Amino acid sequence: MGAPGKTTDAVLACGEVRTCLLPTREAVDQQVAERLLRLRADEPVRVSKRPNRYAVSPDVLTGVDCRLPTANGSKVRAVGTVTSRAALVEGRVLQATAYFSAPAGGPDRRRPWGYYLVRPGVLVPIGKVSPRAVAEGFLTRHHQDELDVGSIAEGQLSRISRLLADSFDPPLTTTDTRVRWAASPASDGDEPPLRFTVAEDGLRTLDLRLPPGTAPAAAAALCEDLALHDWLLTTVVDKLDGLRLGSADGKAALKVLRPLVDHLLHLWLPKARVERPLEALWDALEQEPGFSRQWETQVRRVRDQLLLQAILTQREALGASLTTS
Amino acid sequence: MLVFAASDKGGTGRSVTSANLAYHRALDGDDVCYLDFDFGSPTAAAVFDLPDVLSEAEGRGLHSYLKGKTGEPLRVDVWSRTEHPQLRSRPGGSGRLVLLPGDRTGGEFVTDDENLHRCVDLVLRLKREFDVIIVDLSAGRSYAMDLALAATSPRGGLGRLKTRWLVYHRWTRQHVMAAAELVYGKQGIVQAGIAMGHEADALSAAIRFVRAAVPNLESPLWSQVSPAQYAWMRQCDTQLEEIAAGRGIGKTRVLSSIPLEPVLQWQERLITDEDVHDRRIANVETWQKMGELAQRLTDDKYWGQL
Ligand SMILES: Nc1ncnc2c1ncn2[C@@H]1O[C@H](COP(=O)(O)OP(=O)(O)OP(=O)(O)O)[C@@H](O)[C@H]1O
Ligand SMILES: [Mg+2]
Repeated sequence: MGAPGKTTDAVLACGEVRTCLLPTREAVDQQVAERLLRLRADEPVRVSKRPNRYAVSPDVLTGVDCRLPTANGSKVRAVGTVTSRAALVEGRVLQATAYFSAPAGGPDRRRPWGYYLVRPGVLVPIGKVSPRAVAEGFLTRHHQDELDVGSIAEGQLSRISRLLADSFDPPLTTTDTRVRWAASPASDGDEPPLRFTVAEDGLRTLDLRLPPGTAPAAAAALCEDLALHDWLLTTVVDKLDGLRLGSADGKAALKVLRPLVDHLLHLWLPKARVERPLEALWDALEQEPGFSRQWETQVRRVRDQLLLQAILTQREALGASLTTS
Repeated sequence: MLVFAASDKGGTGRSVTSANLAYHRALDGDDVCYLDFDFGSPTAAAVFDLPDVLSEAEGRGLHSYLKGKTGEPLRVDVWSRTEHPQLRSRPGGSGRLVLLPGDRTGGEFVTDDENLHRCVDLVLRLKREFDVIIVDLSAGRSYAMDLALAATSPRGGLGRLKTRWLVYHRWTRQHVMAAAELVYGKQGIVQAGIAMGHEADALSAAIRFVRAAVPNLESPLWSQVSPAQYAWMRQCDTQLEEIAAGRGIGKTRVLSSIPLEPVLQWQERLITDEDVHDRRIANVETWQKMGELAQRLTDDKYWGQL
């Protein structure tokens, strides 16, 4: 993907995915999804129904001319465009992604915009850069005057939230997540294909080694899929952890559990939109930390709690009828 | 729910009481965030016992965010970061409690459309993540207050969110009159709101008063005073009640009355269950009244037009 003849010299792709619950009472239908995601008049929203309901906005390009974060602090200016888009999974979970790819070197002087605009989604450094230093800097550093793709992604979420300001009514509160990712081509060395970390402030980072020639858009799709499932898992764990166990107040527990069942539990569907060659990376996460295994455990906890509540409620009702008769 | 905490004068107890309110809502299971919009003197970090946050927030606080200097205002998870020994583990059944601190430097600033949009975007985002959003404004008719009024006006972007205003004042003649003026005066919240497109009735229906640090003459604290002193204070209390009623801030408009609490006189802090029942340093009435305030905040019975 990207402009013809450009992907070959891109040695790095970086981006950020933000995931949140769409703040409407119910999941939205395809028609509303299309209205929310229509970012451009000239390009349609893409929708698919299989394996789950999914809608994605056309890509939007944002021009940037700024410093790139680098692990070694070296100053690298880059110019070009960042691709961003928003997507809705089952009309319920909203994701926004902003990403770019970068070659290891570019012209020594800033060129006119025309030069950069024929390379959509590419940030061209002025001079040479170390792709590793940029990847590491991107994942770990954040400075005010440096590239901030997270804000570009957030801008998409904000735009959609504003459209919903009059019908804002989320059925449960959930924490938004941020997943920052950097993908470099895998070499012959035996580095792990994927490193997933959670920083103290909740920021997730994904350091990926992908088969050479992987399109940045495919990397972005993989990261969106991982981010979606990480968000689901995080949200359900969070809600269960907050539950007052053994409490006599079944209503309070139901208030927490019910929305999980109504809105989230059916959304788990790994690899729904991941290209075949990248599925191995998902499999790595299934090994360690074992995403689906953890999910199954949480789902069981939800079901057990619900069962318990049902039994208790029944017993109470029985007790009540015994005393009144 | 979006809650703005305002007061006419400084030092009324607005920040400390609002922080305790946030704490009680979180204990009851709500996900709560507390925004320190008091750009002049951010104190929330101290109340929640987060000593490092003041310097951490430099350049990353709400002030920087609204000015567009940072895309992501700093968030601090109170349960995991506080140095308050009794708060460090999140109690079972409680919700999240998150502070968005202000910047220490920067002071007040002029509101423009850019600020307004950022403010609206932030609140919409927090509304996804939290049940209750408490915003501590500066004392008086501040820029922060104008920003709040503009954002929640029908054309401001947050017009449809459920919004409530708490106006804090102390129980003295000056404070009562100042609080009434802040709300109903020529330059007050209601008039300013109308100028920004608010509907007068709806806005005043969403405003309630909180009396802070009120001496309760029947409490043991005052049991040693002489009969003459007692009689005089009673009389003052009655007079104050009359003044308040005359200015439209009588009992029906009061959401809660927080008693004078010796612990809070000594230290800006959260009053915990342990403070009351185990260590016995704080009065049980204070704990109960903070809880009552938290309950009433979302109980429609106490709100609406009178
Ligand atoms: N119920 C109370 N009893 C006794 N003292 C109190 C009570 N509530 C607050 N205080 C104390 O009053 C002082 C002022 O309170 P606080 O800082 O909350 O006021 P404020 O209205 O936020 O002031 P500022 O305008 O400076 O931000 C603090 O020392 C606080 O601990
Ligand atoms: Mg204060």
